[in-house]
Amino acid sequence: MELTVNGEKVQVADGLNLSGLLAAQKVENPDMVSVQVNGEFVEKDQYGSTQLQPGQEVDFLYFMGGGA
Amino acid sequence: MKGFTTKAIHGQRSKPDAHGALRMPLYDTASFEHPSSREIELAFGGKRPSHVYTRISNPTIEDFEQKMRLISGGLAVLALSSGMAAISNLVMTLCEAGTNVVTSRHLFGNTVSLFEHSLKPWGLEVRYVDMTNLKEVEDAIDEKTRLVFLEVITNPQLEVADCKALSALTQSKGVPLGVDCTVTTPYLFNSKEFGVNVEVLSTTKYISGGATTVGGVLIDNGNFDWKKSPKLAEKAKKMGPMAFIATLRMEVYRNLGACLAPHNAYLQALGLETLGLRVDRSCENALALAKQLQNHPKVKRVLYPGLPEDRFHKLAKAQFGGRYGGIVCFELADKEACFTAMDRVKLIKRATNINDNKTMILHPASTTFIEYSEEEKAKMQVGEALIRLSVGIEDLEDLTEDLTQALET
Repeated sequence: MELTVNGEKVQVADGLNLSGLLAAQKVENPDMVSVQVNGEFVEKDQYGSTQLQPGQEVDFLYFMGGGA
Repeated sequence: MKGFTTKAIHGQRSKPDAHGALRMPLYDTASFEHPSSREIELAFGGKRPSHVYTRISNPTIEDFEQKMRLISGGLAVLALSSGMAAISNLVMTLCEAGTNVVTSRHLFGNTVSLFEHSLKPWGLEVRYVDMTNLKEVEDAIDEKTRLVFLEVITNPQLEVADCKALSALTQSKGVPLGVDCTVTTPYLFNSKEFGVNVEVLSTTKYISGGATTVGGVLIDNGNFDWKKSPKLAEKAKKMGPMAFIATLRMEVYRNLGACLAPHNAYLQALGLETLGLRVDRSCENALALAKQLQNHPKVKRVLYPGLPEDRFHKLAKAQFGGRYGGIVCFELADKEACFTAMDRVKLIKRATNINDNKTMILHPASTTFIEYSEEEKAKMQVGEALIRLSVGIEDLEDLTEDLTQALET
């Protein structure tokens, strides 16, 4: 399925959850990013149970030493 | 990595160095190039972990922040230009006109000045209480309280705050607890374990490795629900636990411009590597000198939480694991006696600052508290007969000799 991750179209496996996407995208220091799906914040303990749907926009936001 | 010093030395690099440098290089640059317009747009939007401008972030500063994060166990760390910058950024992030801060009657003089002279004119109310009296703290907190702020050991009164009890109170009120832990550092005191929400450090002191540079740090321990903080509530809905640090990085800290210089971050990361060794030595020297001063006929009183007779000893032992910091205060007959003794020291330096490698002596009433009236100083318990000794890491016999000869008539 296709998702928009940090503004870019990416192809990922169907049925992927947020935890899987973080790993697939090799997000650096995942404990220090805020994750939004379609603009809504997702709690860390919900990553495993958040099934991603085709066409969703996922943003990983960095606040530790990254761009701002 | 488990050990404090191992973490401080090795850290956790976000990217491998291009040349395999063992020490994080000094990125003394203001700006950073990006491969495309799209990439710089994503970086500005916080969607790329890349640096754009050193006032906001920088690789050398990030390395220092990550090491501080590792050794403290906090959620997120922000390095600033000084300890005072850390306090002012903290207050400006959480408070606004019409709200109040509940704080200690016994604060560092410049912190009092920040509240009284810099922030009060902007409409902030400051409520001073006795932090050793929980009822008084509780009575001062109301629906307009946005922060309870104190020092873990006050300077120069050397009162120790019961952080666990204060945290239980502030948590029940939904107010964050900010504690200045400069004199203990994460080596002596794990503020997260004692319920502190935001730890403030002046890294100029112990951490800089010998007063090499001025700096400060804010550590968000990740144990406060920022949705309860009215100024951050909306951001917390979008950013969760990162709301505090995100507001700083993308707004308050960025806009106030109190960034740490990369050169200072480099030196402070270097200082961090030997922090444990130096704090141990400083604490050993301080305890030994406190005991010696206790037995000196000219010394009226010694303040040091490491002394079994000290009223904060039991609490300090529980919080700091049997080490009590490097500051010892003592009273002589009067101001003249203090000045005479201070003028006689040969090795010990007459200078302001604390937790340097060098031992320093100061008369707080005529220096760090000079701008306050006699009445105000009395309220702050900064007496004319009080001397503050910041004990360094020299050989104890030399310190003993210098202090002994200084106290002779």
